[in-house]
Amino acid sequence: MSLRVKQREGIAFFDALTMEFCSPFQKGTTFIIKTIDGVFQKYFFLVHLQRENEMLKQRIIELQAENHQMKEMALDNERLRKLLQFKEKISAPMIAAEVIGQDPTSWFKSVTVNKGEKDGVRKGMAVISPEGVVGQILKTSPRYSTILLITDYNSAIDAIVQRTRAKAIVEGKGENRCQLKYLLRTEEVTVGDIVMTSGLGGNFPKGLKVGEIRNVEKKGHGIFQYAELTPGVDLTKLEEVFIIVESLSLPQKEEEKKLEKTPDKSRKKR
Amino acid sequence: MRRVVFPLFSAILFLTLQATLLMSFPIQRIRPDIVLILTLYLGLLYPPVSGGILAFFIGYLMDLFSGNSFGLYTFSRPFIFYAAQFFRGWFYLKGFLFQFLFVFISCLLEGLLILFLLSSLNLPSLPNFFHSFFTFLLPQSVFTGLIAPLFFFLLDKGSVLIFKQKVRLTERG
Repeated sequence: MSLRVKQREGIAFFDALTMEFCSPFQKGTTFIIKTIDGVFQKYFFLVHLQRENEMLKQRIIELQAENHQMKEMALDNERLRKLLQFKEKISAPMIAAEVIGQDPTSWFKSVTVNKGEKDGVRKGMAVISPEGVVGQILKTSPRYSTILLITDYNSAIDAIVQRTRAKAIVEGKGENRCQLKYLLRTEEVTVGDIVMTSGLGGNFPKGLKVGEIRNVEKKGHGIFQYAELTPGVDLTKLEEVFIIVESLSLPQKEEEKKLEKTPDKSRKKR
Repeated sequence: MRRVVFPLFSAILFLTLQATLLMSFPIQRIRPDIVLILTLYLGLLYPPVSGGILAFFIGYLMDLFSGNSFGLYTFSRPFIFYAAQFFRGWFYLKGFLFQFLFVFISCLLEGLLILFLLSSLNLPSLPNFFHSFFTFLLPQSVFTGLIAPLFFFLLDKGSVLIFKQKVRLTERG
């Protein structure tokens, strides 16, 4: 090999010249090839990047949806836990129901729930939620019921003001508002007072929050004063409710029946 | 048969939408009454007997799912249906403006009728007339009127698809 190199020494100049002449072409060609290759590689890289980008965007959307779902589940969980805690507090037997529809008309305030006569729901039963009174059962079918909300014009509940123990009737006024009627003018009621159920109506247990007084008006004459209250429950965002399946008047009836069955014993006691 | 089944299912669908999807409107006062649009559509295209029965059923459905125990809509919907039948020749119903006006006036008329009936029933806590009219009835009528042309168009398309009806409301003069 070294012999051959020695033999080529004579023509080194010519080689060098040719090389010097040809190399720029090679260099140029290589540059062009590299450039084209680079462009293509970049192009393919970009296409790949674009695909990857789309895929990642899709993944972000999926993860966001999953995240929303998880948040919703967490909120549901919290709400249901509150409902469960509330159910444990109240001694009356209750069933939970889900709100499936609202009033299709704009004049009346009611909601439809997924529990009906088959679940033991009857007309007139009280409907409550952890935040307070919701309304009462207006119509029933075997599997569904309509609840008349306390804000409806046709609704009336016997109530007392928590602080002063003043008695009044809570009537619906539409649009998430109620009014206190037959509240004696002599009663000192102020804004912020809590109104509770009195338990006298027979449907609602005593001591459930109905709402908070927002406005008190004492007109020039008359024996009553007027007060407006906001319900404790946001009735526009109702999702789950509790129906008290045992009316408060029932135990009285049962007692009466017992007395009828055992008249002698009761007489003896008396 | 199909001429009865189609509006019947439409009524149930519209009522469901009104009681669920439209409740998510941020402002409740502008919630449009799409069931009324269907009743008016029937009033413009259906014969008095079958259309009247359908309007009665639509009103009954409204009363059934609402907190109303007086049957106001069972009365008002056939009333609106026959009013639409009576006045349909007077209106030029091609075009957005006329359809809007027709539905707007009908919605207002029904609202006034219901207010009158409610005040006749002597509900103790009913708000005063002007409050109900300006804060609630007027905006609702406007929005019902605004979306009415779209629903008339959709009902027309549905009719064409189901029973190849040639005369359509949007083509009527």
